[in-house]
Amino acid sequence: MQLLRKFRGANNEGSLALILLVVVLGMSLLNPVFFSVNTAFSILRAATVPMILALAVLLVIISGGIDVSFPVVAIGSAYTAVTICLKTGFDPGLPAIFGMAIVIGGLLGLVNGFVIAKFRLPTLIVTLGTQGIFFGAMLVYVGTRYYPTLPDSMAALSAVNVVELTTSAGRAYLHVLVLLSIAIALIIWAVLKYTMFGRSLYAIGGDAEGARRAGIRVVRTQLWIYVLVGMVAAIGGVAYVVMSRSANPQDLVGGELDIIAAVVLGGASIFGGRGSVLGTVLGVLLIQVINNSLLLVGVPSAWLRAAVGLLLILGVGAQAVSARRSAQRIHTVDTGEAVRLELEKVS
Amino acid sequence: MKTEQAQPQAAENSLAAMNNRIGRVVTEAVGRTLRDRGVSRMLIALVVAFGFFAIMRPRIFLGPINLQNIMVAAPEVGVIAIAMMLAMLTGGIDLSLVSIANLSAVTMSTLFTAMAASNPAFGESMTVPIILIGLVVGAACGLLNGLLISLVGITPILATLATMQILNGLAVVWTGGKTLYGAPAALTTFGKTAIGPVPMLFIVFVLVAIVIATVVRSTALGRKLELQGANPVAARFSGIPSRSVLISSYTIGGLLAGLAGVLFLCRNPTASADYGASYVLLVIVIAVLGGTNPNGGFATVAGVVLATLTLQVVASGFTALRLSPYQYSIAQGVILVVVMILDTIQWSRPKWRKRGVTTDSASLQTTQVGTIKKDKEQE
Repeated sequence: MQLLRKFRGANNEGSLALILLVVVLGMSLLNPVFFSVNTAFSILRAATVPMILALAVLLVIISGGIDVSFPVVAIGSAYTAVTICLKTGFDPGLPAIFGMAIVIGGLLGLVNGFVIAKFRLPTLIVTLGTQGIFFGAMLVYVGTRYYPTLPDSMAALSAVNVVELTTSAGRAYLHVLVLLSIAIALIIWAVLKYTMFGRSLYAIGGDAEGARRAGIRVVRTQLWIYVLVGMVAAIGGVAYVVMSRSANPQDLVGGELDIIAAVVLGGASIFGGRGSVLGTVLGVLLIQVINNSLLLVGVPSAWLRAAVGLLLILGVGAQAVSARRSAQRIHTVDTGEAVRLELEKVS
Repeated sequence: MKTEQAQPQAAENSLAAMNNRIGRVVTEAVGRTLRDRGVSRMLIALVVAFGFFAIMRPRIFLGPINLQNIMVAAPEVGVIAIAMMLAMLTGGIDLSLVSIANLSAVTMSTLFTAMAASNPAFGESMTVPIILIGLVVGAACGLLNGLLISLVGITPILATLATMQILNGLAVVWTGGKTLYGAPAALTTFGKTAIGPVPMLFIVFVLVAIVIATVVRSTALGRKLELQGANPVAARFSGIPSRSVLISSYTIGGLLAGLAGVLFLCRNPTASADYGASYVLLVIVIAVLGGTNPNGGFATVAGVVLATLTLQVVASGFTALRLSPYQYSIAQGVILVVVMILDTIQWSRPKWRKRGVTTDSASLQTTQVGTIKKDKEQE
């Protein structure tokens, strides 16, 4: 029992890993083509950008907020950086382009963070508003043009693979940006686990008032959360532009709820205070694996959205039911806990 | 009041009394409406926006075509916004409304095409049953939301996020991602008719608004919805059946979304899974602008109607000024953020220090209660 509980993990990572394993095994039995390096590499490739964006959202969700402006921040900062390079005809090199996008993303995040932290408004509403503002501003002041070719340094990166293998099913490529997403996952994991900043995210998400009393500068931390989210999203945006080998300002936008669904599937609590990098990574991977296997079994990819929705209901529903069960089992008079569970149940 | 109701002695007297009474009722109603922050500020915003564009481009903006366009475009968004307001009133949110509306439109279009394939006249004669089925589909989806939220106990934002994905996925699979053509001709003609200058669609919108406003304001259900949103725990201890209240709230929301699906078909005899994707977040904007408290417990239908019209006026005004839809997107965001900021400054300055930073008012309230208790204990 103890072992089982440990395996399940704090946020159901264990169950998620088990589901992932079952899906992979089942698919491999059904269709041996699935179990190949090629499939693994292509899934990793497809998961790269959603992974980076999901990790950005994870930070906000742990802190008890929700952000719907991150896809616009991502594509906006990447598109702006590309536009500047192409308009001036000067290619400053990859680090500078990434740097430029990160600065823009950070500034956009600062706007979010400032309004949210300063005026203490609901995060969903504020980011809804800024989403419209950022999107409009990008298209009005930066441009609406689709760029089919990127600056040379970015175009060169598009074709770089870390691993190239020749397997029986053809050549398999592992794109270099997959490493970037892994690096970001590791950094965010370390930040969440070992830094004061990361721990205060959990504290604020758990109880903002409690965090304030414990001496955490809530307002300042919140400001930094959104700046950080903007910066990570900008990296995701540049990665997206590089991998799609073109810059289209209308891309990514509208996919915010899909990413949030992946994060929630990964065990993060929408109320804040709970969530892990491992869970998010598994959530994103699970969605990509399902997407890939649906195609292989011959189910149209249109079913993907429905499948993700169903998984979400099963995952969150199981959590809700087990929370209710444990609430019924414990007959303590700890009203604080009872009220919290009650609230979770009714809200 | 009672003396006025008592038998009037002279005809003249009774007329004066009647006048007096009507006058009082009207001022009272107007006064009460204006006290609701959503209504008064949206009324001002509507008048300002209307006046601004009317002065800037009187010929285009005040032209009958433009005014009619505003009234034809507003209903579908407005009806979904009212449904969103209902969900927010109970402290929840409903992200699946647009998917429900599209699913209902797709169902109706498919049914009609199937029926009209063999015999067009038969398809036409089945218009009313088809509409009813569309509404039933909407209500059933809403019921599903309600059950997931109240019985299973999933948070509204997650439950409706999931059903949004599922229903939208179903519609995509069903249509194969293509746009379906075909709707009863009666619906299309209904969408084009108007009583005087007012399109029928707009009348439907106003009727829906009046019905929902009556439900919220003057029925037991409406009161329960408000209490449930204002303080779920208190509502529970007051013997309010949270489950059935939540279920009816989301079912009515689904029904309204189904109606929005009918309105989609009235405007255009086409249905697709992706129609109005931008509406999902737009209706949240409208509901919040209309004075709905996103944490629950407070909402006015009048405010939501005015907010719908304001955004529609700004949208068509921007078109009249030859500004791009992207500039309208900026304006929409700025309006939302500025209104929210003005709200905080007006309403919460006195207790600036005491407020927590959580978005969840319920947890906020409990933390405040908890801290107050602790403070007292320390004393």
